[in-house]
Amino acid sequence: MNLIQNPALLEQLAASYALGTLRGGARRRFEALARNHAEVRAQALIWQSRMSSVAELQPHAAPSALVWKRIENLVKADKEAKAMQAARVVAKPEPSGWWSSLNLWRGLSSMGAGVAAVALMVGVNLNSINAKLGGEVQELTAKLSATPEIQYVAVLADDKAAASMLVTFDPKSKRLTLKRVGGFQEQADKSLQLWALPQAGGPRSLGVLGGDAVVRLTAASNDVNVPTLAISLEPKGGVPSSGGPTGPVLFKGTLIQTAL
Amino acid sequence: MSTSNPDTTLIALIDRIALADEKALRELYELTSSKLYGVAVRVVSNREWAEDVLQEAFINIWRIAGDYKATLSPPMAWMALVVRSRGLDFLRRRASDRADRMQELDDVISDTVAGDSPNPMDAAQASEQAKVLHNCLSLLDNKQREVVSLAYMRDMSHGELAEQLKLPLGTVKTWIRRGLEQLRGCMAKLA
Repeated sequence: MNLIQNPALLEQLAASYALGTLRGGARRRFEALARNHAEVRAQALIWQSRMSSVAELQPHAAPSALVWKRIENLVKADKEAKAMQAARVVAKPEPSGWWSSLNLWRGLSSMGAGVAAVALMVGVNLNSINAKLGGEVQELTAKLSATPEIQYVAVLADDKAAASMLVTFDPKSKRLTLKRVGGFQEQADKSLQLWALPQAGGPRSLGVLGGDAVVRLTAASNDVNVPTLAISLEPKGGVPSSGGPTGPVLFKGTLIQTAL
Repeated sequence: MSTSNPDTTLIALIDRIALADEKALRELYELTSSKLYGVAVRVVSNREWAEDVLQEAFINIWRIAGDYKATLSPPMAWMALVVRSRGLDFLRRRASDRADRMQELDDVISDTVAGDSPNPMDAAQASEQAKVLHNCLSLLDNKQREVVSLAYMRDMSHGELAEQLKLPLGTVKTWIRRGLEQLRGCMAKLA
């Protein structure tokens, strides 16, 4: 092969190949030679590597500060998308598991489907919920992280660990949604009151629950950023926040942040 | 001008980015964005487009940082090539608009090619490998160096260069051939 006996020409071709100015038939012939001859291939790689440094030698320029902001947002979105994918893989749907149905939970968080879903929940055997509760809460958290509008979720249970209230919080609409999942119904002259239990300081009232199966309260993110929620039994209409709960705490649960 | 070899720092950051470390991405951006933005400006010759390219390049680096280990390139060369590829993609996407594609060269480049303005190349933050190339490129005539650099950065053929630089095709071919010959001789001595 002529080229191999002529190192200067070989290098010249390898340099034009790497630069990109070797085009058309000449380029294809050079590539064919490189595939067959290690010496040609080596020169091509050496010059590709050398030429790549041309890109490093360009003069600096300052981009606008907005560029980093945009990158940061995209990276966050990328991370969330990955977490969502991971949650889907972890939470393989069980054929019979209504609890596992992401669509159900999505439905629950929208007002329109809420009524139908609650009707379904009332029919569910509570014991089966309790049996599954441990592992399922974890699974549920993973799934809810895939639904960006839900930032917190808590399952409030009584002292026998029977789930009685599902709480979700949507920071966008500042809406706390409580769903009764147990059979508990307070007497007509009593009210249930929801409390935030912060790490430091006394309980803060988040609102008084009406008698309906689904209760919606308004709360700021700060109010909800607490480790635990609790529900106490109070006189009809509830008690002032400043004094704390006056009746027994019926249900209590850990608040789990779902968003990354 | 950075005096120390920055490769080790950059490699460590890329390794951390491969593990989805956002802080490392931020640090890498702070260290390299002005260099890499310069690369983007050079490829697309429009500051606004170059910002889009820089953004795409960093998202790309975020996603493919794990692939860096498999390359033998110095980190800055690898990143600069990511920016160049994103820039070339950007130009291809706009290729349907002929007015965009055939835009006038920015003043810096036409001045450099037309006259004898100083070497616009900048070895600050460049890898050791690039510093050797820089030394050799400095020996070239300004016009030759500029045409070689432009051919590589914009992936342009002799014909495209002649058209953009408004030079006879033969002149472009000669400058590039002589430029590469000198480069070959110099690199053989230094590398």
